[in-house]
Amino acid sequence: MTVPPRRRAALGAALVASLLAAGCGGSGSADDGTVTLDVGLFGTFGFEQAGLYDEYMRLHPEIRIEETSVERSADYYRALQTRLAAGSGLADVQGIEIGFVADVVQNHADAFVDFAAEGNADELLGHYYDWKVEEATTSDGRVIGLGTDAGPEAMCFRRDLFEQAGLPTDRAQLAQLWSTWEGYLEVGRQYEASPTKPEGTSFVDSPASVFSAAVYQGETAYDDADGNPIPESSDGVATAWQNASVAAAEDMTANLIQFGDEWNAAFASGAFATISCPAWMLGYISEQAGEDASGAWDVAPLPGGAGNWGGSWLGVTESSEHKEEAIALVQWLTAPEQQIRMFTEEAHFPSSQEAAEDPQVADAVNEYFSGAPVGQIFGDSAAALRFTPIGPYDTQIQEAFTNALSTVAQGTAPDDAFQAALAEIEQITGG
Amino acid sequence: MTIASDDPRVAAAAAPPPPAPPPATAGRRRRSRLTRNRWGYAYVAPFFVLFAAFSLYPFLYTAYISLHDVRLSDLDGATFVGFGNYTELLQNEFFWNAARNTLTIGILSTVPQLAIALGLAHLLNYRLRGRTFFRVAMLMPYATSIAAATLVFAQLFGHDYGLINTLLEAVGFDRVDWESGTWTSQIAISVIVTWRWTGYNALIYLAAMQAIPNDLYEAATLDGASRWQQFLHVTVPALKPTILFTVVVSTIGAVQLFGEPLLFSGNGMTSGGVSNQYQTLGLLMYDQGWTNFRLGQAAATAWTMFLIILVVVGVYGLIARRRARAER
Amino acid sequence: MTTLTPAPEQAPPAPASASAPRRRGRRARKVTSAGPLTHVLLGLTALLSVFPLYWTAVAASKTNAELAGTPPPFLPDADLFTNIGRAMEEAPIGLAIANSVIVAGCITVGTVLCSTLAGFAFAKLRFRGNKTLLGLVVGTMMVPTQLAIIPLFILIAQLQWVDHLQAVVLPTLVSAFGVFFMRQFLSQALPDELLEAARVDGASTLRTFWSVVVPVARPAMAVLAMLTFLTAWNDFFWPIIALTTENPTVQVALAGLGGGYVPDTAVIMAGTLVGTLPVLVVFVVLGKQIVGGIMQGAVKG
Repeated sequence: MTVPPRRRAALGAALVASLLAAGCGGSGSADDGTVTLDVGLFGTFGFEQAGLYDEYMRLHPEIRIEETSVERSADYYRALQTRLAAGSGLADVQGIEIGFVADVVQNHADAFVDFAAEGNADELLGHYYDWKVEEATTSDGRVIGLGTDAGPEAMCFRRDLFEQAGLPTDRAQLAQLWSTWEGYLEVGRQYEASPTKPEGTSFVDSPASVFSAAVYQGETAYDDADGNPIPESSDGVATAWQNASVAAAEDMTANLIQFGDEWNAAFASGAFATISCPAWMLGYISEQAGEDASGAWDVAPLPGGAGNWGGSWLGVTESSEHKEEAIALVQWLTAPEQQIRMFTEEAHFPSSQEAAEDPQVADAVNEYFSGAPVGQIFGDSAAALRFTPIGPYDTQIQEAFTNALSTVAQGTAPDDAFQAALAEIEQITGG
Repeated sequence: MTIASDDPRVAAAAAPPPPAPPPATAGRRRRSRLTRNRWGYAYVAPFFVLFAAFSLYPFLYTAYISLHDVRLSDLDGATFVGFGNYTELLQNEFFWNAARNTLTIGILSTVPQLAIALGLAHLLNYRLRGRTFFRVAMLMPYATSIAAATLVFAQLFGHDYGLINTLLEAVGFDRVDWESGTWTSQIAISVIVTWRWTGYNALIYLAAMQAIPNDLYEAATLDGASRWQQFLHVTVPALKPTILFTVVVSTIGAVQLFGEPLLFSGNGMTSGGVSNQYQTLGLLMYDQGWTNFRLGQAAATAWTMFLIILVVVGVYGLIARRRARAER
Repeated sequence: MTTLTPAPEQAPPAPASASAPRRRGRRARKVTSAGPLTHVLLGLTALLSVFPLYWTAVAASKTNAELAGTPPPFLPDADLFTNIGRAMEEAPIGLAIANSVIVAGCITVGTVLCSTLAGFAFAKLRFRGNKTLLGLVVGTMMVPTQLAIIPLFILIAQLQWVDHLQAVVLPTLVSAFGVFFMRQFLSQALPDELLEAARVDGASTLRTFWSVVVPVARPAMAVLAMLTFLTAWNDFFWPIIALTTENPTVQVALAGLGGGYVPDTAVIMAGTLVGTLPVLVVFVVLGKQIVGGIMQGAVKG
């Protein structure tokens, strides 16, 4: 190849500059015997903020931890997929979210250390809720990651709006009124029909609130036991669709796209009275709604039984040059004591049953949410959860359904919207 | 493609200059020396090496992928499906929906954009005070990135807090839910495209207008043509090649429209709205490849887009040729 | 135009319009001064062009509720700086700007060199396949970006370049537009006699290039550099695939900001403002030259 010298220099400069800028620090052992562990995460795992890394490095002076974190899990997953496909460029420890744990379990289990094969597997896995381990277990029994947090769900509601609409605001009473989704919809009808309901408010933020929470309460959600999509025949989908489309068609929802701009803004303006809230959403709500809304929000159990939305695992990659050290770090980060700390400092609900039953978690109340016993409500939810089969396309399938529900709220007939969602899903999964 | 890298003399291009060749005997064979210069290969080599690695090879490889069922989670497990991806695409309502949206957004953004640009160029062609200021101000949107422009316009078009709805309400209209309606969302996206490109095209037209010889106008004035008639019968015909060119470029851009519909939703969804109301072909391809990880499908969509561009540009070329012939 | 650039971003200057070289002082209707209506219309257009950018600063300093008030606010306030601070926390905008400078700088240097070399060869050197190769170059302008990204994506995955800047720089150096642009310029601006004189003096082709061609090409190189830099800075499609917010360019960082994880509109707007400001400043300083460059490019050919 002929490259004039100046051009070569320019190319060289470009490469050097970009390498410098990209901060190509490979992980590895420095000369002084320290081991650097790269931890690749997304969103807000919060280990750094809770001071866990610093403490671990104090306990283990020979270890240095370097975390890289991508804001959005979708972007993170794209990059992780790419690296898994290429079989290179992985960090020592990689975060894995429930949205793509099934894909990793089904397609990339070989790239991750099997925790079930560790000598102390009982100690590693014994303190978890069963479903948390099951979700990360392959058909041949490998466990590809250790759980960090979980997303047991409840129903958050605005006491002040309920009061104005003449509805009860007592948690226990509401828990009874909406023990089922039908009951919840009935409360919704009363709210919408109330002459004293605050102008411009809706009962629930979006049909997705109902659908995403209810879908995992069935025997199956989006997939059969082998992880193959069965959107048409799943009982969880059918029930969730039924209830959510009623809420949408009867105009009980504000029909906001969750995590969109308008939805975010609606917390502050108080545009809706209820929202299905996994444990991690409490922090989100208080941040959005601001100090003014302190004491306005409250938490009651989720209609229709237990539900889970979200949660993650930490996996150790087979390509890591420091597998033993990485395994030790992951074990420590996910141990019950640390999960308790993540709850008290960062409000991440434990996926460890042992941690969730600890008084520091179980007896916790949330002042912002009118002193609701969140430790107990979310703990009950987590304890009651059963394992529902998951699959590689769950995130996309869920989005297809919740998008279709938005169109129902805009006036599309529920059956047409359901068919449209199925068509979209077929395109996603390739039939 | 022959890059004469097997020619040892080409390799010398990278080395310090070789001793000068003996001076030419006379100027008689000058032309021929200039015309047969194998050094040309050395000069185009850097470009073509990069081109081969980062353009040509990807094009062909995309064609190869489009004939297979490839998933990102299993790159090695590609199964040959022939034209299966293409037939699936043509039977796919989402593809047709995206093609339709691409067409309507393309028309909604290209036609007003070029029409306004032509008018602006005409205005800019007068003797003006603050000429440079106007030109620079009009080119500002061109310097604004797609991402920035879309984020700002998404805010302006917001349902509850957007300035546009606030103004609509102030003059007695209802608030419009721009994002969720089919036409409204497509108009909003077209506005972003139009905003970014109008000034740029106006400058291109202006440059072409300034190249029109003055005597044409003088002759027209003698014939008693009004300003408007001069514009129609002198300016526009003289600009035809430029207009054709901007139409072609805008079309190529319109077929690939991607960033605006991706960011317009404000929550990272790749479906182009809850009922795919503003999903374009470019976004569909991204959705297939990077949300659903179906690379074979995405590759088929990409090739289809290329074919669409070829056909459309070919049609433009035919029309231009026929009109030119008709005028002769 | 690189295959990785949306076509219009690099709209090649109109080829062969009236193609008469511009003769200063022979402007069309040079006697006609603009009336007040023209000024008003142009003023309005200028306002519409600049207003969204100004509004970014307003929206970056207000809460949603304040923005929706009647009458809406039209002046930014001190919260602007608070929100810029928050945006810098939410998204790595400082890093993004540094990355964008590196990426756009490397792409500009590489593209201008590459294009000048090739453009000169196509304009002035006759070699077998000259026409065919040039046709190939021009033809690639019609190829959509989408056609290259899947293999490139696989390629950078295998090279372990995900999230590294060279993944964005290298593929973007291929600028068919640049080659064509330089060819059009040089075939007009570079007299054969100059080359001939250099050859008679016994200069090698490469020497000739540096001492004869480059000085002549300099104005066009400057225009190409400006346009390339702007395009590279604003490039969107390929960077959001090749990079993540871990090591982003400005556009990737903005796409991340607008992805629904930053709940506060004002913060998103503040980030947008900071990410756009560098280009706008350059634009205000060099605006006249850029305008001139685009217009020159439009009639060359």
